[in-house]
Amino acid sequence: MCDFLYRRTGMVFTEAKRYYVDRRVVDRMLATGAASFTSYFARLRSDLQNEVEQFINAFTINETYFYREDHHLRCLTSDLLAERIRTKKPGEAIRIWSAPCSTGEEPYSIAIWLLENWALADSYDIEIVGSDIDTSALEAAREGTFGRRALMRLTPELIEKYFEPVGPERWRIAESLRQSILLTSVNIVDSTQTRAYGKFDVIFCRNVLIYFDDTSRRIVAENLYESLSPGGYICLGHSESMSRISPLFEVCRFADAIVYRRPRDGGHG
Amino acid sequence: MPLIRSRSDKPGADRPPGDLRAALLSGSPEERWRAARTVAEMGADAPLLTQALELEEDSRVREAIFTGLARIATPEAALAALPYLRSDDANLRAGALDALRMMPEASRPHLKALLRDPDADVRLLACDLLRGQATSEATLMLTALLETEPEANVCAAAVEVLAEVGGPLAVPSLQRCAHRFRSDPFLGFAIKHVIDRLGSPSSVAGD
Repeated sequence: MCDFLYRRTGMVFTEAKRYYVDRRVVDRMLATGAASFTSYFARLRSDLQNEVEQFINAFTINETYFYREDHHLRCLTSDLLAERIRTKKPGEAIRIWSAPCSTGEEPYSIAIWLLENWALADSYDIEIVGSDIDTSALEAAREGTFGRRALMRLTPELIEKYFEPVGPERWRIAESLRQSILLTSVNIVDSTQTRAYGKFDVIFCRNVLIYFDDTSRRIVAENLYESLSPGGYICLGHSESMSRISPLFEVCRFADAIVYRRPRDGGHG
Repeated sequence: MPLIRSRSDKPGADRPPGDLRAALLSGSPEERWRAARTVAEMGADAPLLTQALELEEDSRVREAIFTGLARIATPEAALAALPYLRSDDANLRAGALDALRMMPEASRPHLKALLRDPDADVRLLACDLLRGQATSEATLMLTALLETEPEANVCAAAVEVLAEVGGPLAVPSLQRCAHRFRSDPFLGFAIKHVIDRLGSPSSVAGD
């Protein structure tokens, strides 16, 4: 079962996570009415009624909130974008990718942060794409409704400006933001999927590589390398280090964060 | 509103190179990189990647080849990476080591020979590869090495790995190693520390 999941997603679950795995398999067996593990596994392998997607959804972790690890957001507007626009042609959009984006907090945070903190925001077209393998998380991201915990790091002024209350302790993000961010289903281990989205200036790929084994991390690093424009940046989670995964990237130390850069053309060889 | 919705609503189809062999062996660096990745993605041809690795001079493409070999993870793929453990180029050595580390099953049949290699640097790197093996097997191989290894640096590498994977059974070999290198204070200190960590009486011979 774990091998099946690994081959589909790159996520690794060892014996130490047996409880986590067992619980989710039992949940899926109950949800599908499978009488035995054998019959459930047969259903999974034949992808009956999209069971593979549901199974993967059950294993992803969607714990996040707005302005999480906001040192990367500060770094984005203090340093990264200034570097990126130096090589932009007139009219060329700035492209930012949040992958995985979970239930949307990260791509929406990037949008709000840019609108609030980047003086040049009105001078450039900015494309933000959020992608995740978990289709139910993406649906939640498209819906854009959040509870108090997800908004805990936003000021009341920001909540007032970018959200509307839709129920007790529930807020929905402004439609203009929902409409301007593209949310798509992507498995970042699968290069045929990542390649389709073209080149980005900055990629936020935070707190996901910790779930992969060494080989999958390397594959993801190479996929993200391909998805970056030369000179583009990647931000990882606080416990992740690209230096331990792949030598393809340059380490860049800025005042607010350490990030990784795809060398400009000619930087290898 | 400066935010615009990405036009990638319908992402473009991904087209792999037509002639992979030609792209991999004689294309531009970009084509070779792409071909190296595609070979592994399409289900593997270790001999083609092996041939490409022999010719490749671009470090980025080499990395893609090493990752490809690790994805293929057959005995042939491990065999292709092995010679680069003795390369003079540190990047090649590191690339080969990473690739072998990522395919522990395929690397296993080669480990005993690597631990007896005439080149001390290769033996040292082989110790590192044992981190990915079953702890009992790794402990057996490392303790056997500690009994006869003439280079203190190689023993130090083995001791470091034993600190992670070893158990009380490793203690006698560690003690004998400390005794053989009793004039080397660093190794004695490291071994004492590991014995303490492994939870056994830490009467290092020669103390």
